[in-house]
Amino acid sequence: MNKLTTYTIKELHKIYRDKLLTPTSFVDLCLQKVKQTSELNAFVTVTEDEAENHGVESEKRFYIDKKSRMLDGITFGIKDNFCTSNITTTCASEMLKNFVPTYDATVYARLRAAGACLIGKCNLDEFAMGAGTVDSIFGPTRNPWGYDKSNDDWRISGGSSGGSAVAVSSGACVAAIGSDTGGSTRNPAALCGIVGLKPTYGLVSRYGLIPLVNSMDVPGILTRTVEDAATILNCIAGPDFLDSTTIKKEFDPVSITDDFDMTKIKIGIPKEYYCEGMSQEVIDTWRYVADLLENQKAVLKSVSLPHTSVSIAVYSILNQCEVASNMARYDGLEYGFRAEENYSTEELYASTRSQGFNDVVRCRIFAGNYFLLSRNYDKYFVKAQKLRRLISNDFKNIFNGDDHVNILLTPTTLSDAPLYKDFMSKHNRDQCAFQDYCTQPANMAGIPAISIPIRLSKNNLPLSVQLMGPFLSEEILLNVAKRIENIVKFPAVAL
Amino acid sequence: MWYYKIHRNLNKKVKPIIWTRYHSIVADRQWQSVVGLEVHAQLNTESKLFSGAENTFGGLVNNCVSLFDAAIPGTLPVLNRKCVELGVKTALALSCRVNEVSTFDRKHYFYADLPAGYQITQQRAPLASDGVINFQVFTPGVHKKPYKKSSKIKQIQLEQDSGKSLHDDELKRSLVDLNRAGVPLIELVFEPDLEDGEEAAALVKELILIVQRLEACTGRMEEGALRVDANVSLRRIGQPLSTRTEIKNIGSIRGVAGAIRHEIDRQRSILESGGTILNETRSWDATNKVTVAMRDKEVVQDYRYMPEPNLPPLRVNLKTKNDTQDVISVPLIQDQIPELPEDTRKRLVQEFQLRPEAAIQLVNEPILLEYFLEISANKERNPTKVANLLLNDLLTALNQNKVNIDHCPVTSKQLIELSDLLLQKKINLDMCRQILDELVHNADEDISPSRLLKEKGWSMITDEAELTKLCIEVLENNPKLVKQYKEGKKKVYRALLGIVVKSSENKIDMAAVSKIMDDLLKK
Amino acid sequence: MKFKFAFITFCKVKYIQILSRNIGGKVPTTPVNTLEKYQNKKVVVDKNTLNLLERLSLVKCDTTKGTKVLEDSIAFADKILHINTDNVEPLYSVLEEENLHLRTDKVTQGNCQKDILKNASITEDDYFVAPPGNIPLQDIKAEEICELTK
Repeated sequence: MNKLTTYTIKELHKIYRDKLLTPTSFVDLCLQKVKQTSELNAFVTVTEDEAENHGVESEKRFYIDKKSRMLDGITFGIKDNFCTSNITTTCASEMLKNFVPTYDATVYARLRAAGACLIGKCNLDEFAMGAGTVDSIFGPTRNPWGYDKSNDDWRISGGSSGGSAVAVSSGACVAAIGSDTGGSTRNPAALCGIVGLKPTYGLVSRYGLIPLVNSMDVPGILTRTVEDAATILNCIAGPDFLDSTTIKKEFDPVSITDDFDMTKIKIGIPKEYYCEGMSQEVIDTWRYVADLLENQKAVLKSVSLPHTSVSIAVYSILNQCEVASNMARYDGLEYGFRAEENYSTEELYASTRSQGFNDVVRCRIFAGNYFLLSRNYDKYFVKAQKLRRLISNDFKNIFNGDDHVNILLTPTTLSDAPLYKDFMSKHNRDQCAFQDYCTQPANMAGIPAISIPIRLSKNNLPLSVQLMGPFLSEEILLNVAKRIENIVKFPAVAL
Repeated sequence: MWYYKIHRNLNKKVKPIIWTRYHSIVADRQWQSVVGLEVHAQLNTESKLFSGAENTFGGLVNNCVSLFDAAIPGTLPVLNRKCVELGVKTALALSCRVNEVSTFDRKHYFYADLPAGYQITQQRAPLASDGVINFQVFTPGVHKKPYKKSSKIKQIQLEQDSGKSLHDDELKRSLVDLNRAGVPLIELVFEPDLEDGEEAAALVKELILIVQRLEACTGRMEEGALRVDANVSLRRIGQPLSTRTEIKNIGSIRGVAGAIRHEIDRQRSILESGGTILNETRSWDATNKVTVAMRDKEVVQDYRYMPEPNLPPLRVNLKTKNDTQDVISVPLIQDQIPELPEDTRKRLVQEFQLRPEAAIQLVNEPILLEYFLEISANKERNPTKVANLLLNDLLTALNQNKVNIDHCPVTSKQLIELSDLLLQKKINLDMCRQILDELVHNADEDISPSRLLKEKGWSMITDEAELTKLCIEVLENNPKLVKQYKEGKKKVYRALLGIVVKSSENKIDMAAVSKIMDDLLKK
Repeated sequence: MKFKFAFITFCKVKYIQILSRNIGGKVPTTPVNTLEKYQNKKVVVDKNTLNLLERLSLVKCDTTKGTKVLEDSIAFADKILHINTDNVEPLYSVLEEENLHLRTDKVTQGNCQKDILKNASITEDDYFVAPPGNIPLQDIKAEEICELTK
């Protein structure tokens, strides 16, 4: 039995206080777990020295200062597209393979200020472009569920924050930070059977998060329990003057109560979320949770979000345009990979960028520039932004008005974790299109969403559902999620 | 009969030819030059537009650079409040409409001194639009008298400056310094309202005066604080605008006039010989005084403007004086605008009765204007005479001693003393000039002109009796000249005065002596 | 009489409610049709556009494979162009109602030359080093030919 997967933040702090374990010994256990599960390939860099130092600091605060911080002795992993000073930050790309930032991302700084201990930088799809964590120069990340060393039939972990999800799912970390642009935190959370929270856009600072789509990226939280997700959120959320796209209002920490009043909650079931190709098991799980919530005396009703089906195409346009723009800085002059060309700047740039980026990145840049050409700008980019407003208005309409609902219940992914070889038979864009269907619209509108594991499929793989709410409704989402969690009692992976 | 027919037919064919030729010769003389300017001015702030790095000229290489300026991944822009204030101030001073909501865009192109691969600017919804700059055009030596001109301003936008690259041709490389990357600029886009280089130069001069008064920009073109690009085209009168060329790399006000003048001539000679103008970018070579085509800009460019996703819309308060950290009150800034150059010129003409040319020249030289206002604060001093003292004599003294007006060592106290001496006729103009020369040369602010006077032993002969005696002496010594004068040769009068000046060692007041001489000669 | 009628109606309504609840709640039973429209026209990008894109992107993607991927991306995007968006304002930022934060004008960053230069592969005397100017890619080939013919 994997004891590590049973620890929550609250329990750990109690154990530390009761001296049944110390922070440093717990850090060691986690590091051991990383070694034992190294084939899962969840980590790009394991920060052993830092982890141990952080553990020592936490220990001092616990036992000598007798004043511990919110996350003292809590081990965590962070996706390798968050800048951490003096620790390589690669984005799983040749381009940044040797890039060592000289500053900390705000999310990382806040976690460290709360005493958390960094186990390592987690694997991802190159520059967060993908839905499987299979497009990394460090190799794919394997799903611990159904993993058998003896055969080659392993499952993908989902993506692009697959490494972070596996780190938490396998017990190597108590919590992990990912990023979510089209579902990149919720997707791997669903496939790995853990909780994945996507906060409201602007609630958590993006300073230090190497961007994919600036107008949709948010740092995501991956934990095994809803309560832990709430604790991490309370630590990292709040305005940041270094990021002009954070909401300036003071953050009101969320609180989870076991006696949350469900009678006041109206839950919408959007009919458009049943799409072609969705597995029957996923639909059944969706139904199961709907019934469960109704038994808890919540009010359920069917709603319509008419523009759901266009979200993926709109996302493809906006994603590629922003990528073309964000990647323009990688030229090898100030940092990153630099090709050997010396003839002209243009030749240097072209060689650096074609050698430093994988096909997925390069193709997105190429397509993005096509859509941004002055002759195409109105036809594609502005059109996509207009459709984005329609998608966002769909949500606004059902969350407001006389007939409004408080939250929405939908599936997270269309199936349980696919086999690696099946997943690889499709092109990156098609994979994303398929898997992101249910998660993408929340990024489009900037609203918060959480994925919670419910039960196992007949393949013994996790099946999850997703809750979405209006801007800044994390407290409701987390409380409803907690109620579901209490009832379903989803098991941890046996490693 | 047939002769008449042939004649008529010939006429039919020849007349049109003659007519068209005549028409085109006339039309050639009817090429109208059209000039539109784009000005980039560096804002005078402590820190940069989107980062907290220092905004300074000169400084250790790559040291006034923040992580954001170097486009380090994961860094984000944060807008500097002062830049918005100065931008709004400039817009108001130029009668622009300040837009309540403005947004930022990314302009994409690859260049070694642009680390992010894009520049953040305001193309779609700029800070302000639809203004006008009114100014006087007067270049001594070119124009007989000043005339009013105005140019409409299409928009004013905030944007980032790029870094600097030093080209090393020998080692075939460029060295890049990012100190200037991210420095705040306002770009002012003018409509093609101007006709020639002198008008453009006058516009630029007026603009520099305005931004200096607002303390928005130092206006020092030689430091690159203000940069002018000129769009020049020629068209036939009445026809729409034709192909234009853009001239870059102009480093001074006179350069503006010269570059545009050269380009108009270049285009005219091409068109007159039947050629066509290419839509291209040219660089002004100030040494050889020619424009040359720039190789880099030959390729087709598409900037792919995209809204900057990391900056929500910028809002300003157009209605009330309520000022908060994030929303600037525009009426409050309107109150802070000082007297503008055009108003000063008006005031000089109305209050001090100066000639327009003098008013223009004083306003053009802020240091002289300062002196003038200080000296003329005492209403008893004749403003015109004071203006002349400053514009003619002080400037001459500075030029002769090769001292720049910015480093003028003469204090206002000294000038006040000097002008009093002159106006009270204790010294004449010649003495005054000599004293000025001494003051500039010695550059000692403690020297008093009166003391100099005493030391040099320069004092005027003011006693009327003595002066009369002097004049009589001169008349007696030069009977021939007197005779010539009495016979009608009035020019001789000057010669007589000249002799008086010489014999008195130039210690006389010309006006007084003139009067005495007049009276004497009448007898 | 009236009471009986009301009672029966009430029971009927409750029955229907219970019935509908037991049929799996509000979760849909069939997939909803997509709004996307598949275009039958094949997307072809001309050579000039490809050259322009390559010059603007500098990723060496103007190969046959790259072109195919581009055309697929365009076809993927074309599926939604037909949807009516009249009188709809584009949504550039979900935070469009927030005011842009303005920072006080003080020097708070910079003065970190070492950090700035730390990750650069090549520097010279504290400068970044780039090859000469911007020579357009096709000119390189032209110049090479020139060199050969000399």
